[in-house]
Amino acid sequence: MKILNKVILVITLILTTNTFAQDYKFGKVSKEELLEKSYPLDSAANAVVLYENKKVYYEYNPTVRWFLLITEVHRRVKLYNKNGFDYASDDFLLYKNTKAEEKVSDLKGITYNIDGDKIIKTKLKKEGIFENEFSENYDQIKFTMPDLKDNSVIEYKYKITSPFVYNIDRLVLQDQIPIKKLEVKVELPEYFNFKKFTTGYLPIDLKETPSDGSFMYTPNRAKFFDVESRSYGSTKPKEKTRAVDYKINVNTILSTDIPAFKKEPYSGNTSNYISSLVYELQFTKFGNSVENYATSWEEIIRKIYSNANFGGELDKTNYYKDDVQKLIGGVSDPVKKASLIYNFVKSKMSWNGKHSAVSRAGVRKAYKEGTGNAAEINLMLTSMLKYAGIKANPVLVTSNSKVVSLFPTLDGFDYVISRVKLPNQGAVYLDATDKYGEPNVLPTRVIQGVARVIEENGKTQNINLRPRNPSLNRNSIQYEMDVDGMVKGKSNIYHLDYLAHSFRERYGIYDQGSHIKRIKEKYKITELSNYEIKGTSELGKPVNERFEFMLDDQVEVIDNEMFFSPLLFLSHKENIFKSDDRKYPVDFGHGFSNMYMVNIKIPEGYEIIELPESGGFKLPDDMGSFSFNSKLVNGMIQISVTETINSPIILPSYYPVIKEYYNQIIQKESDQVVLKKI
Amino acid sequence: MQKTIQLILVAVFLCASIKISAQDNINLQSIIIDSTLTKDANAVVRSEEVLIEINSINSVRVKTKRIVTVLNKFGKGYADSFEWYSPSTKIKKLQATIYDGFGKEVKKYKKKDFSDRSVYDGISLMNDDRMKYFEYTPVDYPYTLVFESEVEKSSSAFIQSWKPVIGYRLSVEESSYKILNPTKIPLRSKETNFGGYAIGVNKLDSEISYSIKGVKAELPEVNSPSFYEIFPKAMLALENFALEGVEGSATDWKSFGKWRYDNLLVGRDQLPEETIQKINKLVSNVNTKEEKVKLIYEYVQNKTRYISIQLGIGGWVPFPASDVDRLGYGDCKALTNYTKALLSTQGIQSYYTVVYGDRNKEDIDFDFASMQGNHIILNVPNEEEDIWLECTNQTLPFNFIGDFTDNRNVLVLKPEGGEIKRTKKYGPEENILHTTATVNLTADKAMNATIRRKSKGLVYNWKYGIQFKTPKDQQLHYKEHWGYINNLEINSIKHGDDKDAIKFTEDLEVSCSSYTKKAGSRLLVAPNLFSCDQSNLPKYENRQTPLVISRGYINTDEYVINIPKEYAIGNLPEKKSIETEFGSYTYELEKINESQIKFKRFLKIIDGTFPKEKYEEYRKFRSEIKKIDKSKIVLKQQ
Repeated sequence: MKILNKVILVITLILTTNTFAQDYKFGKVSKEELLEKSYPLDSAANAVVLYENKKVYYEYNPTVRWFLLITEVHRRVKLYNKNGFDYASDDFLLYKNTKAEEKVSDLKGITYNIDGDKIIKTKLKKEGIFENEFSENYDQIKFTMPDLKDNSVIEYKYKITSPFVYNIDRLVLQDQIPIKKLEVKVELPEYFNFKKFTTGYLPIDLKETPSDGSFMYTPNRAKFFDVESRSYGSTKPKEKTRAVDYKINVNTILSTDIPAFKKEPYSGNTSNYISSLVYELQFTKFGNSVENYATSWEEIIRKIYSNANFGGELDKTNYYKDDVQKLIGGVSDPVKKASLIYNFVKSKMSWNGKHSAVSRAGVRKAYKEGTGNAAEINLMLTSMLKYAGIKANPVLVTSNSKVVSLFPTLDGFDYVISRVKLPNQGAVYLDATDKYGEPNVLPTRVIQGVARVIEENGKTQNINLRPRNPSLNRNSIQYEMDVDGMVKGKSNIYHLDYLAHSFRERYGIYDQGSHIKRIKEKYKITELSNYEIKGTSELGKPVNERFEFMLDDQVEVIDNEMFFSPLLFLSHKENIFKSDDRKYPVDFGHGFSNMYMVNIKIPEGYEIIELPESGGFKLPDDMGSFSFNSKLVNGMIQISVTETINSPIILPSYYPVIKEYYNQIIQKESDQVVLKKI
Repeated sequence: MQKTIQLILVAVFLCASIKISAQDNINLQSIIIDSTLTKDANAVVRSEEVLIEINSINSVRVKTKRIVTVLNKFGKGYADSFEWYSPSTKIKKLQATIYDGFGKEVKKYKKKDFSDRSVYDGISLMNDDRMKYFEYTPVDYPYTLVFESEVEKSSSAFIQSWKPVIGYRLSVEESSYKILNPTKIPLRSKETNFGGYAIGVNKLDSEISYSIKGVKAELPEVNSPSFYEIFPKAMLALENFALEGVEGSATDWKSFGKWRYDNLLVGRDQLPEETIQKINKLVSNVNTKEEKVKLIYEYVQNKTRYISIQLGIGGWVPFPASDVDRLGYGDCKALTNYTKALLSTQGIQSYYTVVYGDRNKEDIDFDFASMQGNHIILNVPNEEEDIWLECTNQTLPFNFIGDFTDNRNVLVLKPEGGEIKRTKKYGPEENILHTTATVNLTADKAMNATIRRKSKGLVYNWKYGIQFKTPKDQQLHYKEHWGYINNLEINSIKHGDDKDAIKFTEDLEVSCSSYTKKAGSRLLVAPNLFSCDQSNLPKYENRQTPLVISRGYINTDEYVINIPKEYAIGNLPEKKSIETEFGSYTYELEKINESQIKFKRFLKIIDGTFPKEKYEEYRKFRSEIKKIDKSKIVLKQQ
């Protein structure tokens, strides 16, 4: 819950009001715009969006007697130099299915240059516009502007007409280059009721005002479609064409000087951090006919359970009945049963890589072919568990590749996992798409998202899938050195929990040669021998790696003294955070703890004259800690180090702290042991 | 930046067809593959049969059947087969069947089950190539794919090469290739790297065939020759052919070049009178040919940008120069042709030149004429040394082609015919990085430094792009470049780009709060702050391929290090020098006075190809350098 709040905190919308300034009419580029040599707020910008206008509205179409959703885009871009010319080409997708398609019209473009005192306009012509079938469901329009020079201004506009009136595409309000002025206007007729939310760390000025609309309505003589009741009625020959008035809810955003968005390392789901406005359909209302799309979680749950591609799939048992009976026949222990079924689905089914909250091909077909999307596999799992008398529920997940919705909505989810409640145990979460998964060890795509469990009785709650405890990595090395500084030693590494999971995911099927190559590259070891690895396929157990090494470049011999950092190749060498500041959270996925135990035998005839001191520090709010202990035991040096990050998410306000944490670790771990010839 | 023109060449993924007979079934059981073939392999080509029927120069049918066993998830790419099609290439038959390890059929994809999408070459704004592919989620490994296809092409200018091995960690049980040429159109062929393999060759007027058996999987090695300099390949070409409806004939580069010049180039150089006047005026104040070419090249750089559009014959014929003049953009063909046209307004002869553009050098085969290359540059003959122009780049200096097209065989198209020339080589003495710095160390472990780095030659090419990044990315660039200095702060960055001298200067001020290490009364200092060798060459038990150092260079460093007054300079290590046939290295410290040390470093790497036995020597050379580079000296508290 705590983590979810953190995410929401960052993406909560901030409302203020503002008033509109002047119009930026298409074709009215000014000399000032052409003469501008750099963007005052970011002189390094190669290009900047001078003006962007997006209008989304509904238009009544008398021919089809129904509304169409219109999106108009107008963009004016300043290209300060050649490195900005990438922004002179653009493209967009048009959705289509077997029944209907989106269409583009009014695509126009002009390039403006200045010659002395004269503005030269060059129009975008057909030769610069290309249409292309992108995939089964999308056509793509691409275009590129002519006659570019340093300091050109380009301008283009287009209009997309969509019959898919229930889906307003996410309006992105930020770009890879700065936006000087942005105007967004969304007009929603009273018939379509949307909820909205925004994402990102930038304040967004959103204003709502009422307005009126009207359209001429002609009943169909033969068989008419009544807009007010949204149903086909009987012929009403006497009815004439009449005007229908309706209310419009107008949302406007006026924003200026929006900084460019930059992706940072350990970002998790960046789509939550880029500035945008998202609409989700709540209900439609035509006259007295109201259709709810989402009102409350209870409503969503009712809907999803009655949805053939979700609830319907949970109810089917025929297709697996015989197999599951055979599998659990004679087993009465519910834990054993659950484990058998989970492992059965995991080994039988291969995930096709598709995220989905509902089944597409259907569980029956998926089962037969052995592959399916996330919903198919985990609904199947949930259904089998229930069939075996185990308390199991589906869990809807917004994965780390989708924007987290703030309202009850089915569209906000793109993934399903399963929750099991076993006697005398807490909840156990299962994802059978993940071959390396274990109970409560879930893939990153799931733990970095947000989840909601749903029960048949309509009960629902948000759940936090992040592991409570940090995952462990235990390293121990023992080594000795000779008088020339040549080091010989053994290393023993254990990867546990999530760290074992990510190890298996990445390297699980490596052969011996590839493992050795990997270790040599990772630790920059040239001489490595007796490499052994255990536990890559024994889920639930740690992965254990052992090897022996020889190093000739770790100990510095200067005159009669020897210098080295005791952790050798295990020490941190580079800070993973290099940016000076950060606008959105660091997301590690899960907490972790690296432990190092080092035993060092020094060469005969040498004494220890410097040993790094013990010490440590803690991060605020129990986010993490570091400790370094050194001692001498029977003439051997013993070092133990623990680096712990408890909190998987670090808020941007703590970014300097986490950066300094790594900084201090690197410094401490490079402290030198000094030996002297006796 | 620079792009490809011939998509078909980019990914010649061999694909397949021929009926499954009973004896094939043995191939479908992947659990019984010979272990010499599974060693180090992610996939095994069980059998591949390519049959090419040349019915006429306007009709070539390619039938492919390939059976691939995928041993693990890394081998899946070798089975993800697809076919490309375009207005001149039609797919007649397409089928893929998946079998499990026991040879039992798991899934079948008929032509209608394939997905269809446009081809993204990653570069083009638009091209008309499309592909049909299938998406299979493996349920278990191993599994076997049987892929069959039949494709009808109306262009015969490209005859698919025979490349039985297409990657590392892939073994080949059997592979065969046959061209049927019933009308006996003269057919040329060239085989490379056939030695050491069990290859059968059969050549008749009406038929050429190759077959290979039992190729073990190989692992990639660093600093090795490019793939097809190691693995077998046969190139084939018809002496009479058609390309997108344009017919031709050629037996050698001279005649091939002549055909290409006459049919795919000539007559596309008209320019508006206004532009000609502009150019006349532009060059009116300069006298030499080189100065004129430079002004015109810079004019093109200012006026145009690279946009790739490849439609039909447009994949091979440049847009007319007048279109580029009007639109201000074009692909490599169009921009090169445009530059050529502008030069010819001043009576300067230049030649449209076909090249393989890539940082990994690839030659146009010097004696086998066929459709080759993926990029176009411009060759301007000049008295002393030819001028080479990269016309798709707006920021490169004049007559500087960089590592994208340097030092390789290219096809120069002259009106009288084609000619193979070699582009400029940047030798070690030209590729210079010279770093000077003044470093101040303080008793509290901190460091600050003023650095100046000057780059020339290819080093210029590798560095000059930094100036176009945002300040934040520039900072990150230096922080990553010197990642071994913890907590490095970049306090000031200044770049100087001298395009005439082709020299890039970086003036930096950096600092770090804890550069040195304290150990009791000692201060440990690594005097080589800014040029630590970061190479990490693996040691091979049994190196298979020759050592290739593709480009040589010289790095020199000279720093003055001011040590904290609380510390004294003890004994400084002696000068270290290493001389090898791959280059030389020296590391030198000198006490200037009680508080100043001078650090000097010299590294020269010589390009070349060396026998495989030499690799270990080279590795030791680099690893010794690495060790010396990071060595420390001790300052004692006084």
